[in-house]
Amino acid sequence: MDTSKFAIPEIIFGHGAIKHVAQCALRLGARRVLVVSDHGLERAGWVEKLFDILAYDGLEWVYFNDVSQNPRDYQVHNGAEIYLEEKADVVIALGGGSPLDMAKGIATIAGNGGRIDDYEGANRIMRPLPPMIFVPSTAGSGSDISQFCIITDMQRQVKMSIISRSLVPNISIIDPDLLLTKPPELVVSSAIDALSHAIESYVSKLASPFTENQALNAIKIIITHLEPAVETRSVHHLEQLSIASTWAGMSFSNASLGAVHALAHSLGGVSDIPHGLVHPILLPAVMRYNMPECLEKMATIGNIILGPCIRSRQDLAAMGIDQLGEFFKSFGVPVHMREIAPDDSKLEHICRMALQDACMLTNPRDADWKDLLGICLEAW
Amino acid sequence: MPNMQTSLEDLIGIEHSKLGFFQELRHKLEEIKRSNQELEDQRREILAILDGITDLMMVLSEDLRIISVNHVFREMIPDPEPEGKYCYTIFRGEDHPCPECPAFRSLSSNSVCRATAIFKLSDRNMRFDMVASPLKNPDWPQHRVLIFKRDVTLEKEYQAKFYQAEKMATIGVLAAGVAHEVNNPLAAVVGFAEGIKRRLPQLERTIDGELYGDLKEYTDTILKECLRCRDIVKTLLTFSRHAPASLSLVALNSVVSDTLRLLQHELSKRSGIQIKMELEESLPVIKGNEAQLKQVVLNLLTNALDAIKDSGCITVRTFLERGARLCLEIRDTGCGIPPEHLDKLFEPFFTTKPVGKGIGIGLSTCYNIVHDHGGSIQVSSNSGQGSSFTVVLPLSEECALEESL
Repeated sequence: MDTSKFAIPEIIFGHGAIKHVAQCALRLGARRVLVVSDHGLERAGWVEKLFDILAYDGLEWVYFNDVSQNPRDYQVHNGAEIYLEEKADVVIALGGGSPLDMAKGIATIAGNGGRIDDYEGANRIMRPLPPMIFVPSTAGSGSDISQFCIITDMQRQVKMSIISRSLVPNISIIDPDLLLTKPPELVVSSAIDALSHAIESYVSKLASPFTENQALNAIKIIITHLEPAVETRSVHHLEQLSIASTWAGMSFSNASLGAVHALAHSLGGVSDIPHGLVHPILLPAVMRYNMPECLEKMATIGNIILGPCIRSRQDLAAMGIDQLGEFFKSFGVPVHMREIAPDDSKLEHICRMALQDACMLTNPRDADWKDLLGICLEAW
Repeated sequence: MPNMQTSLEDLIGIEHSKLGFFQELRHKLEEIKRSNQELEDQRREILAILDGITDLMMVLSEDLRIISVNHVFREMIPDPEPEGKYCYTIFRGEDHPCPECPAFRSLSSNSVCRATAIFKLSDRNMRFDMVASPLKNPDWPQHRVLIFKRDVTLEKEYQAKFYQAEKMATIGVLAAGVAHEVNNPLAAVVGFAEGIKRRLPQLERTIDGELYGDLKEYTDTILKECLRCRDIVKTLLTFSRHAPASLSLVALNSVVSDTLRLLQHELSKRSGIQIKMELEESLPVIKGNEAQLKQVVLNLLTNALDAIKDSGCITVRTFLERGARLCLEIRDTGCGIPPEHLDKLFEPFFTTKPVGKGIGIGLSTCYNIVHDHGGSIQVSSNSGQGSSFTVVLPLSEECALEESL
């Protein structure tokens, strides 16, 4: 690729940054906003806090919380209907990847009409979306930065990738304080999600100097700070994970991803597995498959994971991948596919579906469905 | 599957940016501008159509307050600000609605209602045909009513004139028939009466002188009265004759002065009557029959003399009206004509003179003569103060042309 492109939203970062949300909305012309969030954030009290901020600045709001962990097409349509019926004018999403992607889907339909599967693929959104303000709570999804939106088509049992620069939110407000209330499992799975974003986008065919730096920084920070963050839950470490997740988001939004995400989307379409659980299982296997095509970059990653040491590029790469598997195991997350997938009867179907995912385009090494099946069996 | 053709270029999306509302707004603005232009065009068209309506038009509220009016209203009614005033205040100067108003009927029956009424506007009685249509809109606090008023004053006048002309023509035919029928027996009576008169001298010696005197007087009376009858019949025949009289160039002023000379004898007997002449000099000549016109003048002057009991004034005036019509006005200060008689003046055999003094054929003859000359006779009269008869004659085309040059 001779020409690259790098686009990110306005980013407001800092402890307590959430307090700016109403002012941001007002600047975007809001009078009556649609708030998208979920029960987890309600329980943690953040939804209430957001309402207080909106009320303080005299904004009206409509609340939508019918969000599955993998957002579904009909939920998007319901949300868009509410947005239009209630004459809302700005979308504010608070939460992890699911509410954020849900908000993107709602905004797409609100601005363009039709059904959400009309926009599956790249650059099919032809009309502007309502302004979007995202407040991520997981330090992982990157949805608050990216041009991607993943929605499950319930009839086809597939997670659709909708890609458009219009899906990049107007403003991303990243407040590390939101991570303080997250259960440790969620901190871990989000961080591994972010790590997966960073690694896949780093070796992506579309990686550019503008994304590679972000990706490497993200990898470095997550490897360094995840363990202390889980152990100490100190603000400092959680903040670092936040920064890493944002960097990873910047990278993958512009360089895209690879086979791990293609498979994860396919798998998530067939069975409602939490997105974060898939990465520790698939990432090492995919890296091994890709290694011949991007040895240099894999070695660089290995160097980060292994710490300072003198090895051949080949060894650095291979040992780095092994070490990554150990790293995942240390957090007690599933590392075998059999632990999360119901049975292996659908594997072929999953691999064939994954081939059609837009993320496969940027995977450094070409693969057919058998190659993917090989990866799955290795991870089984 | 819609996304099969996704490529790496698609993911970079060099030519795709986050879409903003600017363009959307521009499209909307253009759309609004266009539809605004269309509305404006429509508005102008409707305005042009409304301006083309020559009837007086107004929209009234339920209680007959004027909401809006058209340009005809403004031209006809001097009030510069009729809006908000009551319709009946403006047209009648009343403080309550007129009983015949079609507006209420129209609103209550929800249909178009018509009525005719006479209004006095700037000291002129004008006749209007009125049409009231209900205007009902659920968004308005109360109903409205649209009123059209068409000025039919002239139309009605023409209609009356036409009716009059029709009647005169019919009576003319009738009179001619009667005259013709009376003529032959009359000739026989005259013939035999003359025969008797011729033979009377032979009787003078043979019968009693007193008887002879009676017979002679009777015969003379028969002959005199027969001659009177013959004159009447002749007048009737003239009155009904529609064969065009021979036309020549006539100077109206000399017609007037010649006719006055004929009356000199009569006038000398009535010293209380003053004749005022206001003849405009250098009037254009007209094409007409001099004898017939003299008859008209004579008739009108005779009538004027008859209208004045002892003393008074008769004004004879000639003038040019609006450059195309020649007028002769004969005004007296006599007894005047009661209003109920004004309509019947020109009907044949209508007279107010005592029996034996007139048979009521004069004015109807005048009417016919003037009518044949393409002109008209206008009358105005105030009972007890006098009357004015104006003969209006059109200039012949050449004269009118010269005049305009």
